[in-house]
Amino acid sequence: MDKKTAVYICTGCGIGEALDVDQLSTLATSECGAAICKNHASLCSPEGVQLIKDDIAGEGVNTLIIGACSQRVMYDVFNFEGAILDRVNLREQIVWTHPAKDEDTQMMAEDYLRMSGARMKAMLPPEPFKPEQELSRDILVVGGGVTGMTAALEAAKAGYNAVLVEQAEELGGFQKNVTQNVVFPFKEVQANEIGKLAAAVKNHEKIKVLTGSKLEKLAGGPCLFNATIKQNGSTSEHPIGAVVLAAGWRPYDAEKLDPRFGYGASANVVTNVQFEERAKSGAVTRPSDGGALKTVAFIQCAGQRDPQHLPYCSSICCFTALKQAIQVKQQDPGANVFVFYQEMRTPGQGEDFFRKAQNEGVIFVRAQTPEVLAGGSKLAVEAFDELLGDKILLDDVDLVVLATGMVPATAFGADYKAKQSDEDKKNDMIASVDSIYVSDILNLEYRQGPELPELKYGFPDSHFICFPYESRRTGIYPAGPVRRPMGVSSAIEDGTGAAMKAIQCVELTSNGMAVHPRAGDTSYPEFFMQRCTQCKRCTEECPFGAINEDEKGNPLPQPTRCRRCGVCMGACPERIISFKNYSVGMIGDMIKSINVPDEYDEKPRILVFCCENDAYPTLDMAGLRRMNYNAWVRIIPLRCLGSMNLVWIADSLSKGIDGIILLGCRHGENYQCHFIKGSELANIRLGKVKETLDRLALESDRVRFEDISITDYQKVPAMLDEFAEKLVEIGANPYKGF
Amino acid sequence: MSNRVDPNLIRELQEYGLKDASKCYNCGNCTAICDLSTPENPFPRKMVRYVQLGQKEKILKSPEPWLCYYCGDCSVRCPREADPGETMMVLRRYLTSLYDWTGFSKRFYTSEKFETMAVGAIGAFVGLGMIIWAIANWSMINWQHADVSSVWSTEGIEIADLVMAGILSFFLLTNLYRCVKLVLGDYFKKIPLKMYYDEMKYLLVQFATQKQFDGCKTKGNRARWIAHLAIMTGYASVFLLVVVFVNGLPFMGINFLKFQRGWESMGHVREISIFNPLRLIGYYSFFALMYGTSYVIWSRLKKTQPQFKNSHGTDWMFLILLQATAVTGILINLGHIFDLPFLTYAIYVIHMMVAIPMLVLEVPFAKWAHLAYRPVVLMLMKVKARYIAENENAEGAAELAPEVAV
Repeated sequence: MDKKTAVYICTGCGIGEALDVDQLSTLATSECGAAICKNHASLCSPEGVQLIKDDIAGEGVNTLIIGACSQRVMYDVFNFEGAILDRVNLREQIVWTHPAKDEDTQMMAEDYLRMSGARMKAMLPPEPFKPEQELSRDILVVGGGVTGMTAALEAAKAGYNAVLVEQAEELGGFQKNVTQNVVFPFKEVQANEIGKLAAAVKNHEKIKVLTGSKLEKLAGGPCLFNATIKQNGSTSEHPIGAVVLAAGWRPYDAEKLDPRFGYGASANVVTNVQFEERAKSGAVTRPSDGGALKTVAFIQCAGQRDPQHLPYCSSICCFTALKQAIQVKQQDPGANVFVFYQEMRTPGQGEDFFRKAQNEGVIFVRAQTPEVLAGGSKLAVEAFDELLGDKILLDDVDLVVLATGMVPATAFGADYKAKQSDEDKKNDMIASVDSIYVSDILNLEYRQGPELPELKYGFPDSHFICFPYESRRTGIYPAGPVRRPMGVSSAIEDGTGAAMKAIQCVELTSNGMAVHPRAGDTSYPEFFMQRCTQCKRCTEECPFGAINEDEKGNPLPQPTRCRRCGVCMGACPERIISFKNYSVGMIGDMIKSINVPDEYDEKPRILVFCCENDAYPTLDMAGLRRMNYNAWVRIIPLRCLGSMNLVWIADSLSKGIDGIILLGCRHGENYQCHFIKGSELANIRLGKVKETLDRLALESDRVRFEDISITDYQKVPAMLDEFAEKLVEIGANPYKGF
Repeated sequence: MSNRVDPNLIRELQEYGLKDASKCYNCGNCTAICDLSTPENPFPRKMVRYVQLGQKEKILKSPEPWLCYYCGDCSVRCPREADPGETMMVLRRYLTSLYDWTGFSKRFYTSEKFETMAVGAIGAFVGLGMIIWAIANWSMINWQHADVSSVWSTEGIEIADLVMAGILSFFLLTNLYRCVKLVLGDYFKKIPLKMYYDEMKYLLVQFATQKQFDGCKTKGNRARWIAHLAIMTGYASVFLLVVVFVNGLPFMGINFLKFQRGWESMGHVREISIFNPLRLIGYYSFFALMYGTSYVIWSRLKKTQPQFKNSHGTDWMFLILLQATAVTGILINLGHIFDLPFLTYAIYVIHMMVAIPMLVLEVPFAKWAHLAYRPVVLMLMKVKARYIAENENAEGAAELAPEVAV
């Protein structure tokens, strides 16, 4: 591509008053190699935009540098077909955060312009990934319960073919065995309408229902998946676009409960799931002898919210207990029903159902550790009632119902990584972060393991607040109780949401675009394989398992699985991975373009590698609030801090830059990284750099990692100022001037 | 030792009028809003919890129901519409029946049929007795002028009054003794008699004025307090008038005040000044009773305030008998004034048929028993607090403080 570069500088929003724009223009044409440089008082106005358009049409300009506001605003206005574009953030990060008509402010603007020039010299227009194989747009739904059926039906209604794999002989999942349930708006116990949903799914022409079947193998990536499905002894292969994982849950094993719950000590102590089975065959009676139920005790949180068992709340047991309590009351209004709870959790309109149970005469006892006394044929429950402030004893209990919780289907099976080293470590459901359990559900043919990695407690979620339905495997969307514990109402919503995500995935991927969070990005990483040393770092570190490998250990990138974060680019010690518009060399050139004054000018330089998802907008917000920070900083936005290659640190320090600060998202517990592990990896890599720096007698304090969230804009200026002071204390970089 | 849950209690209490206690989720708004709840005796939340958990023993020992005057604030504020005020009312009925060792009260409260039959039977018995007495005394009856004592001698009526008062007092006092013993628990034996004596004045003030009632600062409470006071003072003064002045003093030979019953000895009623204090007391009583009962009957019919929303059978019976007593009482007075012998005698019989069942049933066994329980429990709480302050160290006092404050 023959580039013809044009620089446009907006003088609006205070830029013109604060900066010497003429000087910038001179710089643009001399150092940045721009053929044209123009100013406009309001570049984002129709006239301003027309000015650029005219140059594209008339002058053949195809490379644009726009010095105006942040890249995070006006991106729809500054959007020109057929041209590559860079934005120089003169407004938020220069004139709104630094004094006007100041030497340092001007130097900053000039450096940013140089950096942009360097960037545009290295940048190529991205070409969307178009594989040779045919792209499938069909949606595979794994699991035929409420969630799976809803997902299949919603996808089909939207015009996509769905393949529904269900291991049982009939559709329905757990709800198939539930006669009555309670759903939004949570007013009454009602007959379960799962049959209607199953019939709608079976009758839909776009849904292929495979009951009694199993997903033997899932290979490939979005739009290129090949699903091997075994049904009635024969296997078939299906090309698939995206996958909804709705494998559901299993009840927690009551045998493992603390003896105080009395499970196993009497036939009259059952779990909530066993109660459901009994309710299916009509009136519920005393299990031991079939006698009528006169007094029933429900005990909540049996092995839940308990670090020894399930550390989390299953969220449905309160509703279930209320429903079953009402069922007992409706069976015999004279029955005594007591619910022993730690906290009643009936959020939102669920409160109405709690009220309904109270109106039916169910008595609630708030007690932390109720104990079931199973002596002889009689049962009793003893508990410290917190609202009475005293111990109470409920005797002559006919039935005790324990609220055991939901365990995701993905939490069973050995840990994939532990299996390689330690075969004995089986069935341990609560494992360290990033475990993959061989639960025999998806059977992925991925180098990184056969199932989805867990987020926590065996749930294969991604970031549960920011990115619902996302997993750490692109194009596979968990929904329903396999994602987090939930009831029917939420599962229906989940199934719909996941179907939507699957559709988005199919649509974007088939156009060669990335899915969330870089939705629409057409660039993708390319590997210069001749120089690969088979170190496997890219395959190991890719947070999304997008890279397989051949038997020799060469990476086999799967671009449709890629989220374009660049973590592989940061990982590669040989620097052979690059995007058309984002590469190690490009950032290196930007660093080299910075004008570093010598030691005697007493103008140190600080390089900020800044995550463009959270940290960059945080800096913009500091600008919006006209907060001031040190003018020695030079900010380089990165797709993710995980894409930071260590060579940049070396480049910067040898260039004479005095300090480097990485601004990224929080990692570890409750991480905020859009790419899950990017900021964590950057921090680890930085740790290695620090060791090297110490060895070279270069102060390791010159590089620093700070985690920042979008709400930290008030802290950012102080953080940068403090780092600058620290650098003054350390003294100038000894490599300056070399 | 765990407190056994009696799951049937809540159903038992339904017979006393309990409706919504199971709706309560124990937030404590009721106790927080209550003007009369104290840290030592918090209510109503705690009492509702006792009800939910079938804690009969704890209820039996609780003074709190008697400390509540049912302003209804708690029921208005209750986020669950669990009507805690009504639960307190139900507990007062329940406690009245538990204090009563005869078991009569329980039947009276839990069966409207029994209640009606009991009132009817006593009324019929009284009516029949009065008629037989009149027939036996036929020749002496003054048909020219209205003179009740010519039909039923003053002495006879007074003796009957005394016998009845003795029996009723016996029941009321024995029940009250049980109340005191239960409410004080271990303190019953510890507190010296002198302390009770010292607080007698407080008891009398509370009895006569229901000052505590006026402690509720709820809007509209003062009107209710006045109506309540009107009923109480109206009844007390007419009781004094009839039992002491009209019958009692003549019985003891002091005849100068005998203005209503004695035609021969005193001259005609009409000749007695309208400003005669006794006459004024009588008229005050009538108007006070009529005002008080009408206010309450109207309120209960219209369900104007929370405390009038739920009316138990015994509430109606009490009001009807009381108002009927007042109406027949004034009619007797008019009968004398207009000198209508037959009508006066007939009304007198009806008056007795209404007033006596009311006294016999309501005073020791039902609603009117609260005239004794309320002020006595109030005094007991004062005595107990004083005893604790004077005799027990800070630790002991802390121990006594309820574990759950709200």
